[in-house]
Amino acid sequence: MSAPLATLHEECHGPVAVVRLEGQVDASNVDLIGVGLRGILTNHARGLVVDLRPTTYLDSAGINLLFVLGAEMRSRQQALGLVVENEAPIARMLAITALDRSFPVHSTLDAAVADASPTT
Amino acid sequence: MGAVGKPREPDELDARELSALARVTDAALGHRTLGELLDEVLKSVTEIVSADTAAFLVLDSATNELVARAADGIEAEVELGVRIPVGRGFAGRIAEQRRPVVIEDIDADDVLAPVLRKQGIRSLLGVPMMVDGDVIGVLHVGTRAPRVFTRADQRLLQLAVDRAALTIDRAIRHEQDRRRRAEAEDMARELVALSRVTDAGLGWLPLDELLQELLTRIAEILAADTAAVLLLDTRTDELVARAAKGIEEEVEQGVRIPVGRGFAGRIAAQRQAVAIADVNHADVLNPILREKGIRSLLGVPLLVEGDVIGVLHVGTLTPRLFSAADQKLLQLAADRAALAIERARLYEQRRVVEAMQRALLPDPLPDIPGLDMFARYRPAAVGQTIGGDWYDAFELGGGRVALVVGDVMGRGVEAAALMAQLRTAVRAYAFEGHAPVSVADRLNRLFDNVRPTTMTTLCYAVMDAANETLFVVSAGHVPPLLVEPDGKSIMLPVIGDPPLGVVRTAQFREHRFPLHVGSTLLVVTDGAIEVPGEPLDAGLDRLAALAARERDIRRLCAAVVGGELLKGPLGDDVAVLAARLVELPDRLQRRWPADARVLLAVRHLVRRWLAKWKVGDDAAYDITVSVQEACTNVIDHAYGPGSGEFELNARHQQGAIVISVRDTGGWRDPRGDHRGRGLPIMRALMDSVEVERTDDGTTVVLRRALTEGASA
Repeated sequence: MSAPLATLHEECHGPVAVVRLEGQVDASNVDLIGVGLRGILTNHARGLVVDLRPTTYLDSAGINLLFVLGAEMRSRQQALGLVVENEAPIARMLAITALDRSFPVHSTLDAAVADASPTT
Repeated sequence: MGAVGKPREPDELDARELSALARVTDAALGHRTLGELLDEVLKSVTEIVSADTAAFLVLDSATNELVARAADGIEAEVELGVRIPVGRGFAGRIAEQRRPVVIEDIDADDVLAPVLRKQGIRSLLGVPMMVDGDVIGVLHVGTRAPRVFTRADQRLLQLAVDRAALTIDRAIRHEQDRRRRAEAEDMARELVALSRVTDAGLGWLPLDELLQELLTRIAEILAADTAAVLLLDTRTDELVARAAKGIEEEVEQGVRIPVGRGFAGRIAAQRQAVAIADVNHADVLNPILREKGIRSLLGVPLLVEGDVIGVLHVGTLTPRLFSAADQKLLQLAADRAALAIERARLYEQRRVVEAMQRALLPDPLPDIPGLDMFARYRPAAVGQTIGGDWYDAFELGGGRVALVVGDVMGRGVEAAALMAQLRTAVRAYAFEGHAPVSVADRLNRLFDNVRPTTMTTLCYAVMDAANETLFVVSAGHVPPLLVEPDGKSIMLPVIGDPPLGVVRTAQFREHRFPLHVGSTLLVVTDGAIEVPGEPLDAGLDRLAALAARERDIRRLCAAVVGGELLKGPLGDDVAVLAARLVELPDRLQRRWPADARVLLAVRHLVRRWLAKWKVGDDAAYDITVSVQEACTNVIDHAYGPGSGEFELNARHQQGAIVISVRDTGGWRDPRGDHRGRGLPIMRALMDSVEVERTDDGTTVVLRRALTEGASA
């Protein structure tokens, strides 16, 4: 019952890496989450989709991480996509911080993966 | 000798008789010992009445018997220590009837003393010796030829005896006094010697100094050249030299003597004194005793409640026959020494264990909002060693609290040390994030390695206040009680799993129970409820009844450790822990260290508090995030690396939630591109955010109205 605050579950969808972020992200574990995400995002992956639907808590610590990670990826021509339920409190957090205007945000995983996949 | 032919008037005394009487008087007046006096008196009376034998028996008023004290012609009577009860036989009759008695023919009478018959005595005349109307003894004369003692003979003998009576009485008293004085002096000497080894002041010395001082005193009292104490090592059944005087090498070399072998070993095995008048190699194992040239030895066991705890022995460099008095004194010294040793050991052990216990039991218990907690530990009564029972309580974060009560088998330092290991292990596994059942599994495997022979029971419970759930794992522990808000108790069915370290492959089960505000978890150790010969359930029933009666958990715990559930005195350690889930206060105030690890706890507490005001999910999320942003700012910016604290105050005011976060540091400006989003988030989510910076620190006041619109 006393699992870590948050866990990362990795899925592979072709050239795009998909991670479900389950649990809570705050200043105490954000660095660990950052290490985990960067580990999943190898140089080969063309894009990364972070599924925030199982995320129960996210504040500026997590938002900052996503901004930093997104900027790093952009410099390497990799795409960062996010999945959030429309009405979830987290969607409001993305809107307040304009994260949803900096990176593509979708309400379904398929749409996010399609968006992040390289156009052929 | 022989019979007097001519009968005389009773009052007539001839010259010979008068001179004989004068001799009695002279003897009586002379300063002699009682023995000399009696001899002289007996000789004189024999002459006066022309008898062959005479004897004097003194009355022992303590037993009401006549004791042969002096004799002339029948000395065997004295040597044999003849005792004749008053009222029986010849002499006994005289003492009882307080008048002269004549026996013409011994064979026709019931003379008790067989000596008289053996000596061939045929006729007897005896008179009482009186002083101030009290019989103090009997004097009798006898003849080997049959004779009829006349009234004149009786009167003459009585006269002689009367003359001597006062002096003899005084001599008897004097002798008794002297004997009593000698006894008293012996006793006093013994008492002085004893008091030197039982000196209460010694009790305060550390054990080693105590033993050294005892040996010095014992050697002095018994005029011995050496003295040594060996204490029993029960693990190896050997005696180990612990302190010595005159043979200090024994301790330095750590001499060990197996019980049953050699001089000291024999004392311990036979549990009785052993004296060796002339030491030879066959008797003594210890080479040091032989090398020292010790010639004579006397040793006694050190006994505590019938158990041998060691041996005390003294030795001399010159041959010596130790007397029974020496042995008695040494045993007395040993008995008192054994007690002192045991007391010192217990005291030392108790002090160590108590210190460990104090260090290990959390005091005070952590202050957790929404949880009213109290615990008590009480060691068993003085004289018994303590240790083994313990409790612990700590926050796991996220509004969860771990509650632990354990009982380590065994006592004293070992049990306390094991308890320390166990406590650390529980905390380590719990902080690593393991579920209660995994904590129990890991502890079981750990204890299988650490100490396979030791058994320990444990109740590990986690209270999840936010989700109103209780998780319990029990490793052979007394089942905990859940006392409902109405006082009704439920014995939590968590029995069946073995104690830790017993079954390597044990699978522990985690039990979940709903937990309501007002419910109390009550966990005790068996010492609180166990009455010999009674099923455990009876004790649990009494505990439940007490919990229903006493709703104040402080008084409840006090009653439990006070032995209220027992039918006798506290025979075992007792630990009790009570934790009640209570409603959060209207105004929340709490301080935390400025550390990101507290954020989860802050979040859960704020959520629980908001639930109290029926704040909707979305609004609760917004407020929680805003509080967290304020806290994160403190943690990130208010303090340099190291310590610092912040304080949270939350209140409900005129339809709005007002929460302030205050620190005592100076905010440093956010650095980097992706810092500084906290404040905009707070502003976006709250109706108002005020940041007040002073020299003392920064206070952020967050405010959000609880309207339909605000909680959208």
